[in-house]
Amino acid sequence: MKEPLLKIENLRIELALRGGQTPVIDDLSLELNAGETLSFVGESGCGKSMTALAIMGLLPEGVGSVASGRILFDGRDMARMNDTELRAIRGNEISMIFQEPMTSLNPVYTVGEQIAEVLRRHKGMNKAQAWSRATELLDAVRIPNAKSRVGDYPHQMSGGQRQRVMIAIALACSPKILIADEPTTALDVTVQAQIFDLLRDLGRETGTAIILITHDMGAVAEMADRMVVMYAGRKAEDGPVRTVIDHPRHPYTKGLISCVPHLLAELTEARPDLTEVPGIVPSLASFGDDACLFASRCDMADEQCRTSRPPEVGFGGQNSACWKANQL
Amino acid sequence: MTAPLLDVKNLSVRFPVKRRWGRQSWLYAVDDVSFEVQRGETLAIVGESGSGKTTAALGVARLVANSGGTVDLGGEDFLSLEPEALRQARAKVQVIFQDPYSSLNPRLRAEAIVREPMDSIGTLPGAQRPARVAELFEQVGLRPEQMKLFPHQFSGGQRQRIGIARALATNPELIICDEAVSALDVAVQAQILNLLRRLQRELGLTYLFISHDLGVVQHMSDHIAVMYMGKIVEYADRLSLFNDPRHPYTKALLSAVPSVDRKRKVERLLIPGDPPDPLDPPPGCRFASRCPFVEDACRAAQPPLEPVAAAHTVACIKAGH
Repeated sequence: MKEPLLKIENLRIELALRGGQTPVIDDLSLELNAGETLSFVGESGCGKSMTALAIMGLLPEGVGSVASGRILFDGRDMARMNDTELRAIRGNEISMIFQEPMTSLNPVYTVGEQIAEVLRRHKGMNKAQAWSRATELLDAVRIPNAKSRVGDYPHQMSGGQRQRVMIAIALACSPKILIADEPTTALDVTVQAQIFDLLRDLGRETGTAIILITHDMGAVAEMADRMVVMYAGRKAEDGPVRTVIDHPRHPYTKGLISCVPHLLAELTEARPDLTEVPGIVPSLASFGDDACLFASRCDMADEQCRTSRPPEVGFGGQNSACWKANQL
Repeated sequence: MTAPLLDVKNLSVRFPVKRRWGRQSWLYAVDDVSFEVQRGETLAIVGESGSGKTTAALGVARLVANSGGTVDLGGEDFLSLEPEALRQARAKVQVIFQDPYSSLNPRLRAEAIVREPMDSIGTLPGAQRPARVAELFEQVGLRPEQMKLFPHQFSGGQRQRIGIARALATNPELIICDEAVSALDVAVQAQILNLLRRLQRELGLTYLFISHDLGVVQHMSDHIAVMYMGKIVEYADRLSLFNDPRHPYTKALLSAVPSVDRKRKVERLLIPGDPPDPLDPPPGCRFASRCPFVEDACRAAQPPLEPVAAAHTVACIKAGH
């Protein structure tokens, strides 16, 4: 069996808050294979971005830290690496694009300089080489007239174009993993479609594995091979996207899918009320509890759910952390 | 057919823009737009950022200056009212805003926020207002003891409920929902959408629903107007628009939305580039520069909105094909 590209084992990340150490990621395990697209899904505060930051070694210093568990990339544990080792990987073998293309670029450098910087640092290119490669990359992310746009400043570009520049920077060193943290949330829907198409095509051409962080189930369905549903810092369910969407084995996944009004193949007059997931996510204070953290919002919950944390149950490739997974 | 509650004719909203050498020109954010909304129905205005959908709604509520046209609301022209009459008439039009964090005064208690429209418009005798506030809290699903809390003590969804209660305070006929659920997490969004639909059924409310989320629009609206660069390019009832879109821009919008429905296999219609400069709009169809079906005639003159079916109009010379 082939080793996965990235393997997270029993990861626990703690935040130092006024009330003491709080686990914001609790016993999370997952695998990412070479060339596949994996999606992290969940509501705000569920820990999906925190997991991505941990992989990149970018947890807020002095506040968040990996308390236990391992993040294995090519057999090396990234959670134990020092800054120099991490810096050799970041932007080179694993890179990341962020939600806000307006603020992730430096306003006082041209986009060409910002792409070239990565190439000179990691690939040892000289100025001229890096500049001409930057032009090629802009062309690859489908910015028309790349030769003249490479000297533009970020403010001269639209939101969609800036996100393309971010993708060009992220892909400059042909990374093995690209983490995309809500890459289209700030963009219009037609631009979102263009960015998704671009990511999918580039992923296919270069064999880069993609971790797509999103709350949009539709985007997951179209983009990803496998998905991890997270709730309150824990993995609720994971598995192949089609299997999970067609037959969710966790009530939270089920709620996430059915609470959104989707565009359907054929719209009819019928418009039943949306399925509600009542209440809101639990407060950080309860994150370490030995219980199912979804129990307070779940209509299937019973005494067992409230008093002991459900173990993961496997259904051939699909896993669910729910005491009632068999009944779903 | 009964008269519509809201009848907007030739609405334009323009903003002054300073250009070089002290010249000034006007940006038409909404350019000669007409639509109607029947009592008890929901009209959604959709479009991408910069399309003018929010400005059109604010123009209807007279919350932006420099508007032209007429906004007939239940028989009186909202845009030509004198200040005192306008203040009274504002009771009939209320707005629910997008951001539940910045649209509530952080220094007021929830009950004062909900009471404020009644105080400023004077719709109820002062003594009856506390009871009305309590009633509103119940209607939107908040508990009575929460009336004394400040906005920061509520979650995002609860804050939006306060915003809804405030909008309902003066018994309005028309409620403008400006991206009312866009800032919320999906599970909370479902709660708010269900609440809005229940209130509409119970109180006979009319909504002008501004959104960029076509899934939400599909669920909420009876009619839909699609805007592009300040113009309505397509107007139709819900089933026609989603099952039989005619304008290339509408088709592109719909095909861009990812869906979990495996049967929904829409050929993606890519529209390259960005919209043209709104200060210098092209003389012909404003979508011509990005349209995959463009021909010479499109660039010559602006296509008018013409009917293609009952209650379905399209501004495209090729809509028949």
